[in-house]
Formats: sequence, C-alpha cells, structure tokens
Amino acid sequence: MPDFNVRSDSVNVEQIMEQIRARIREKRGVDYTEQQIRDLAAVKLEKFLDPKGVRSDLLEQFRKVQPAYEPPELPNYEFEESTLYETHRGPLRFIRKLLNPLLKLLFNPNKLIQALHIQSKLNTMFAEREARREAARRATDQLTYELIHNLVVETTRLGIEVKNLKMRVESVGSRLEFNERRARALESVVVYKSGEGDVVAPAPSRPPAPPPAVAPRPQQSQSLAHPSQTSQPSQTSQPSPSGVGGGSPSPEGPGQRSRRRRRRRGRRGGGPAAGIMGGQGAAPQGGAPESSGPGGQHAADEGHDAADESQPVTRPADADAGQGPAKTDPDTQ
Amino acid sequence: MKLAVVVQRYGQAINGGAELHARYIAEHLAKHAQVEVLTTCATDYVTWRNELEAGVEPVNGVPVRRFRVKRERDPRLFGRRSDRVFEHRHSLGDELDWLDAEGPTSTALVDYISKHAGDYDFCLFFSYRYYHAYYGARAAAARAILVPTAERDAAIGLSIFPPLFRCVRALMYNSPEERAMIHAVSGNQNVPGVVVGIGSDVPQNPQPGRFRQKYSIRGPFAVYVGRIDQNKGCKELFEFFQGYLRDPSGKLTLVLIGNELLPIPEHPRIRHLGFVDDTDKFDAMAAAEVLIMPSYFESLSMVALEAWALGKPVLANGKCDVLKGQCIRSNAGLYYENYSEFSETLGAIEQNRWLSGALGRNGRQFFREQYDWPVIERKYLDMFERLKKEAPTKVLDPLPGWFDRRRQDLPAAEEVLAQLPTGPATPKAADAAPSAPSTGSGQGRRRA
Repeated sequence: MPDFNVRSDSVNVEQIMEQIRARIREKRGVDYTEQQIRDLAAVKLEKFLDPKGVRSDLLEQFRKVQPAYEPPELPNYEFEESTLYETHRGPLRFIRKLLNPLLKLLFNPNKLIQALHIQSKLNTMFAEREARREAARRATDQLTYELIHNLVVETTRLGIEVKNLKMRVESVGSRLEFNERRARALESVVVYKSGEGDVVAPAPSRPPAPPPAVAPRPQQSQSLAHPSQTSQPSQTSQPSPSGVGGGSPSPEGPGQRSRRRRRRRGRRGGGPAAGIMGGQGAAPQGGAPESSGPGGQHAADEGHDAADESQPVTRPADADAGQGPAKTDPDTQ
Repeated sequence: MKLAVVVQRYGQAINGGAELHARYIAEHLAKHAQVEVLTTCATDYVTWRNELEAGVEPVNGVPVRRFRVKRERDPRLFGRRSDRVFEHRHSLGDELDWLDAEGPTSTALVDYISKHAGDYDFCLFFSYRYYHAYYGARAAAARAILVPTAERDAAIGLSIFPPLFRCVRALMYNSPEERAMIHAVSGNQNVPGVVVGIGSDVPQNPQPGRFRQKYSIRGPFAVYVGRIDQNKGCKELFEFFQGYLRDPSGKLTLVLIGNELLPIPEHPRIRHLGFVDDTDKFDAMAAAEVLIMPSYFESLSMVALEAWALGKPVLANGKCDVLKGQCIRSNAGLYYENYSEFSETLGAIEQNRWLSGALGRNGRQFFREQYDWPVIERKYLDMFERLKKEAPTKVLDPLPGWFDRRRQDLPAAEEVLAQLPTGPATPKAADAAPSAPSTGSGQGRRRA
C-alpha cells in the first residue's frame, strides 16, 4: 500500500510526485526515462539492422571461397555521325560523301543515326547499372548470410544459457523444497515438559532409536537422578537433558495418554493466565513450595508424570519429513 | 454596456469546450450588460452544415443572432491543407486557404461584424483558430477581446495568428500556460491579458447513491468524462488501465461517460455509460474516487474543475502542460507520464484516504478562489473597465499583397510549435497571474 511521509493538511503535489517517482525508481532499480528506453532499444536494433556491426571473420572466409563478381561482357556497338558512311575504301568514302545530299533528299538519315546513337548509350548505361546492382545484391547476400549465421550462433548460445538457467532453477527449487521439508520437520517436533504447562520445545538433535521395551526405565531414572537439570527454566527453549543425553522418547503405557489429557484439561480450565504463567515458572522447581498456580500445583502433585512429559515426544508429522531424523540446528536452541 | 459574444456554434445542446465556455460567459455577463451572441447556423463542428435557422432567437434569455455558413467543410481538402501548412514549408496564401477550408466560412457573419461593430462596446471572440475569429477580430479590432482557448497543437505555429494576437484589445486566457505560449509565439506581452478560465454550475447536492443505483455500479471507481477519442488520450488510458487491472491490489473500476469514437476494451471493470445528462454526470463525479483526465491537449479542463468543485481529486496526463500546471497550482491532483506513474498515482489515491481527502479539499478551495462565477465575472468586468479608460492605439497590419502571399517562405507549423517553451507554469507565477490583468512576459516558466 502506498504510504506517504507527508502528514499534514497542506499537500504538496510536487513532493508527493517526487516520492512516487522515488518509489518507482526503487522498484525497478534504475529510473529510465521514456527517451532513454527508446535510445536503448534503438541501440539494440541498430546492431541488427547494420550487419557490419556484428561482423565476424566468416564473411572474409566466405569471400575467399567465392570468386569476386565480374560483370559479363555484353555485346554493344559504337554509333556516331559518320558510322553509316564509314568504309576502309577511300574512293567509296568520297563517293558516299559526294552523294550524301542526294541521300538526304530521299530520306532523313539523321534520325536513324540519332536513334542508334541513343540506343548504344542506353545499352552501355544499362550494362553498367546491372553490373552495379548485381554486385550490390551479392554483397547484401553475403551480409545476410553472415547476419543469419550470427543469429543462429547467438540463438544457440541463448538456448544453452536457457538450459543452464533451467537446471539452476530446478536445483534451487529442489533445495528450497528440501529446506521447506526440513523446516516443517523441525517445527513439528514438539516436547512437552513436565511442570512447564504448554511450553513447546524443539526436537532433540539426535533422536536415537533404542529398543522401546527398555527405553522407559532408564529415562525415568535419568530424569529423577538429575532433578536440577529438569527444573532449570532455560529448558523451555532447550531440549531436555535426557534428550541431550541421548534419551529416546518414552513409549507410553496404556493409561498414560488419557491421564495426561486429563491433566492438561485441568490446567487449562484451572486458573487465570497469570497463574498458569506463574505455574510455568514455578513448576520446574519440581514441586517446590513457591509454586502457587494451578499448573504448578498439578505439576507438583504429579511429579512422577512430569518426568515422563519431560521426554521428547515425536509427533506423527515428523514422519512426513521423509528425510530421516531431523537434525536440530544448535543456533535455534 | 453592450457586448457581442462571437462563437462558431451556440446552443443549449452544444457541448463543445469553447462553445460551452462562450455560453456560460454570455449568460453570466448578461447580468451586468446587454449581451448578444453572434454565431452560425451550424451545430456540427466537422461539417459546419447549416442546421438551424438564420435570424435572432433567445437562448436562456440571451438573444442569439445566427448567420448561414457559406460552404460546408470538405474533410479531405481540409486534411490536405492541414498537412501542407503543418508539415511543410508553405506560403501565407496556403495558411489562409487552410483557414478557409477549416471554416466555418460565414462571410455574412463577418460582414455583419464589420458593419455593426460600432453598436457594441466590446466583441468577445472565442477560439482563435476559426474563420469567424480571425476575420471577425480583424474587422472589429478596436473592440475585439479574444478568448483564444489555445491548445498546444500545430495551429498555434501558423504565422497568420501572431498579428491577430497583437491587434486585439485584450486577451482572456484560460491558463498561465496558454498565456505563456501565446506570448512566446506572438510577442504580445504589451496587449492586456488576464488568466480567467471559466466557472461551472455545479449542483450543491449531487446524489452518488442515485447514480450507483441507476447504473448498477458497485465498489470504488474512477471516472472519465468527455469524448472517448484517441486525441483525448483515451487509447493510452485504456492501455494503462488494463495494466492496472492486472495488479490484484487495485480495486477500481473505470467508468466512461461520453460518446464513443474509439473501441472500448471489453472488461467487466471497464464500464461505458455513453452520453449522460448533467445530473448524472455530477452524480457520477461525486460517487467516483477520482477523475482521470488523459488528454494531451487542453487549454482548460472544465471537467477537472467540476471534479474539484465536488471535492474529488484528479489524475491528469502530465504531458499536458495545462493539466499538470493546474494540478501543481491547486495541489489537488496527481499526474502521470508513463504507466509506472499511472499505476502508482492511481494506487496512491485509491488506497490512501488521507491523500485523497486532502487533494479533494484543496480542489474545492482552488475552485472557489479561482473559478467561482463571481470571481470570473469580476475579472471580465475589470477588464472592460480598464479598456474603456484606454484608447485603442494598435494599428492592424494589412494582409500582404498577392505576390507576398504566395512566397513559400514560412516554416512548417509543427517546427514552430516545437520551438515553443514547454512545461507548466510555476506556482509563483500562477499566483501573480490570475489576480490582476497582466502584461507579463511569461517569465517564471520552466522547462519540464
């Protein structure tokens, strides 16, 4: 949502426009004016419109292979005023010259001379023009050839680059997916601590998998053997000592789950939030007399169960992770 | 005091900008003076076909004297001559031929003015670019007051007009930008001029709910009022608004009011209502979140003023100097010059209630101070008083002779236009401009 720093009744439109333009600049990095964008587009176009700008040595090679264009020798003639009367015989030339007025009396040879003279010049001119055109066409063909060649090269290069980028995107995507699953797995590992109300702690870093039949006893004895560790307030954000020590989640007995539910219900309905919070602070003392809240009271009363609850409990969602045991980042503990 | 208002078309059903302007001025000045309107029998500005009877008839209590147009406009001929004078080197004769082709060629009107100019104290000529204003003002130069309604288009670059701007007694400008442009093109700084503009009869209690109910419009919307035409910037508006529609955060619908001369994109959030009456128009503007003015060329946007009068912000095309200048001077509207700015400014007005409200309040105040009818009337009356005290001293330059008119030595009008200064007038210059008749030189302008 657009937000403006101007906060008074005296609006300054120019100031607001400055802010809007600044935000646009921030969004797209560089503030190109329309003219600059047009210039940039023109530069790109120019390169392709002028094939000389993207020349490689291919054209030279091409020219070496192809012979230079030689215009064909087209038949032509010279036609001047005296051409009609020319002869290598001197007397004949004299007689023709003598009788020329008589010839002109019978018809007008000048028109014929003029027409043929013009035709001769036109022939020459067209031949030259044709030669020039052909040369230009060939040069254009060569340039077109080179341009298309370069375009093909560039397209190929772009194709390879696109393929590389696709692979990178796939790689980044799979890493992202892995990280997401890892994050989900970490979030889903919840530990209920005894006497700490509903405080949730992340999973232990190394959840081992000891045989379930023998797991409960050592854990219980361990937690009872180290009451000071279980009662430390910092445990709300740290894995339980038993977890750290390599303890496994205790398999529940047949009535344990329902008992725990009843206890939780009792805690929730049992007192104000302040009391619960107080209980949270007091409960880790292992049923110390200062605990005043209902939660603390429950925890004190049911200290033996609290020991069980202090063990990490892996939720079924953990199995969704599919990456094996989730490793807890020490920084997050 | 007897006044003549000379305009190309006149009537209650005629809603063109300059024509409406002329009608409002005539009706409001009729309270202070004896006003007669001199106009043509045409109602269509494209053909100038004679559709009304010649003679005198009252319109809203103001006598209107109509004259026949000698010949209708030939659009092809006009187009050819426009190309000639706007884009190529040409002669004065070409420009006069262009003016003749543009029309409305009513020689009877000009003859009447030349014969009866003495019957009036002042003749107010509207729209400098038409035949009636050019020849009429020349015929009654000693009493002519020009309301140029000049836009930044190529016609201002024609060389027949600077002498016109210099020969009239006074000019009533619509905006400081227009004044600066005419000063730059004609050097008429010594001709008395004042930035006046025009007021509007905005209803006191528009009914937004009634409009929403009548047209089944729900949710917030932006409104455009005017001809839906490429020349009015509607094509660009459609492009930009379609881009805005792709942004999921934008909720505005675009409501279009006016005749359609351009295909309108099919989209559920673009609604075209066609031509509506004034009541619905004001109801729509009162119901809208913002009025959009996408036009590139305006001498004064009456619709924008009406929106401000109703306390609504305006989003204007920043490429139009006049609109941009109005937004800056009033602090009542934002402007855009490209899609990014359009999107951001529209979003800002839509989503920031405080900003929208503050712009609307400023607009209402700006309208009251500058464009309320008592203010407008007072400016006209002050100008008449001033001109009565001053004797006309200017001598009208005669038209060049036959050979001079055919000398191809005039630059293309668009070249002249390109050399004129651009950008809105600064607020400081604008503050000084409307307060008193000015002979300033257009200083204080800056390039955009």
